[in-house]
Amino acid sequence: MPSPEDVKATIKTYILEEFLPGEDPDELTDSVELMTMGILDSISVMQLVSFVEEKFDCSFDAHELSVDHMNTLEDITKLVTSKL
Amino acid sequence: MDFGWTKEQKELRSGIEELAKGELNEGLIERDVNSEFNRKGWMQCAEAGVHGLPIPVEYGGLGRDTMTTVGVLERLGYGCRDNGLVFSINAHMWTLSIPILHFGTDEQKKRWLPGLCDGSLIGGNAMSEPSSGSDAYSLTTSARRDGDSYVLNGNKTFVSNGSEADLALVYATSDPEKGPAGISAFIVEKGTPGFEATGHVEKMGNRTSPMADLFFDDCRVPAENRLSSEGDGVSLFTHSMTWERACILSSAVGAMDRLVEMSVRHAKTRKQFGQPIGKFQMIASRIVDMKLRVETARALLYKAAWLRDQGRSIFLESAMAKLHISESWIATAQDAMHIQGGQGYMRETEVERELRDALGSRIYSGTSEIQRVLIASMMGL
Ligand SMILES: Cc1cc2nc3c(=O)[nH]c(=O)nc-3n(C[C@H](O)[C@H](O)[C@H](O)COP(=O)(O)OP(=O)(O)OC[C@H]3O[C@@H](n4cnc5c(N)ncnc54)[C@H](O)[C@@H]3O)c2cc1C
Repeated sequence: MPSPEDVKATIKTYILEEFLPGEDPDELTDSVELMTMGILDSISVMQLVSFVEEKFDCSFDAHELSVDHMNTLEDITKLVTSKL
Repeated sequence: MDFGWTKEQKELRSGIEELAKGELNEGLIERDVNSEFNRKGWMQCAEAGVHGLPIPVEYGGLGRDTMTTVGVLERLGYGCRDNGLVFSINAHMWTLSIPILHFGTDEQKKRWLPGLCDGSLIGGNAMSEPSSGSDAYSLTTSARRDGDSYVLNGNKTFVSNGSEADLALVYATSDPEKGPAGISAFIVEKGTPGFEATGHVEKMGNRTSPMADLFFDDCRVPAENRLSSEGDGVSLFTHSMTWERACILSSAVGAMDRLVEMSVRHAKTRKQFGQPIGKFQMIASRIVDMKLRVETARALLYKAAWLRDQGRSIFLESAMAKLHISESWIATAQDAMHIQGGQGYMRETEVERELRDALGSRIYSGTSEIQRVLIASMMGL
């Protein structure tokens, strides 16, 4: 089972490559508000969820694709780790 | 992956097909001309369990999985030529019942799902506005919190089932500054002061499916009618649209089967130049293309449903299913009409109506262009 650090690193790399190309990785801290700041919009959330489901062989509940659960890297890591 | 149906699934599928063939087609030409909704047929489908197929038994449904649900809807579409009625049932299930099931509190589920399953309540969703269609999240209908209620103002357009609806799931913003994150969803009940649905809207196809514009003028909706938390409208709509895109055209696959069979029959019996027209390779080839379309459409539908039953998100698969089934349905209806020659253009043959009904599928639940935008994005483009 991947550690929370591995999960976070994988997700961070994906977000940087797909949605923040060229961004300094240090700028994407655990608490950057991805959804409320518009880095993740409704389509990129779908992309991210599909990626995570495939990568970590897990599934998301309907209500989890929301600001309450996926706004920061920390939130996403916590959510994914809870499913492994 | 298994493409076979169990005995129980087969029975469900053939039961609905028989009901559809026997009960739902009579008087259809007139209903189409008069834009008449078949409420009796609506209730017959509900009594047979169609409306509640994916809803758990405890809330009045049949509690079937997604594969069974789309498989039964497919046969409904095969047996029932009233595509408008079938569309109304689908709109009701995917845009209202499913969001309530997955986002509602237990109290909300108990309050509304049994009526939505037994057909006594009719519903739909209201997202589109005169100035926001594809760009759905630019909506302007507002929901201002006031004590333990919200006050809604604005208007919605193209609301399927709107003129008959007892309930509508209305998307509105409580904070335009927040953009999409300010959108919430509310269940508005018929008769709520300040809420009005216009009479029916004249449409090209799906004429037996009612539609209305909805108006909200200081319409006070209790906070307990809000579905999910404030600002959660986008995740709710994404979820609802994913189900809708995956499943709303299940019945279209059955309708395509019907059109292919009809074309084969006609091609074997209609003679020109001394032989059945099906012997002309250009006609046969057209029918082969029809068959290929329906089989690829079915494969995409089943794959999306199967993945859903594995608990996977189906954003990509549902957009592909919606895009391919709708485009295939239109092409198939057009081919079926063409194979009938001049007769196909006439009302009595009932193929021109199939084409009119099919055309809307390229627009509702997100146009073909929007599905392509989505698919491309999901592919990282
Ligand atoms: C039969 C039917 C039933 C419906 N039922 C409902 C319902 O129950 N509830 C509800 O809320 N709505 C409903 N709708 C409305 C439907 O969702 C909208 O019509 C649809 O989303 C398109 O919006 P629009 O009509 O404003 O067209 P527009 O968004 O103005 O689009 C016009 C054209 O521009 C294209 N376009 C727009 N954006 C892009 C882009 N980014 N890239 C490329 N092309 C683009 C579109 O594909 C289209 O061809 C229904 C519509 C129909 C026809």
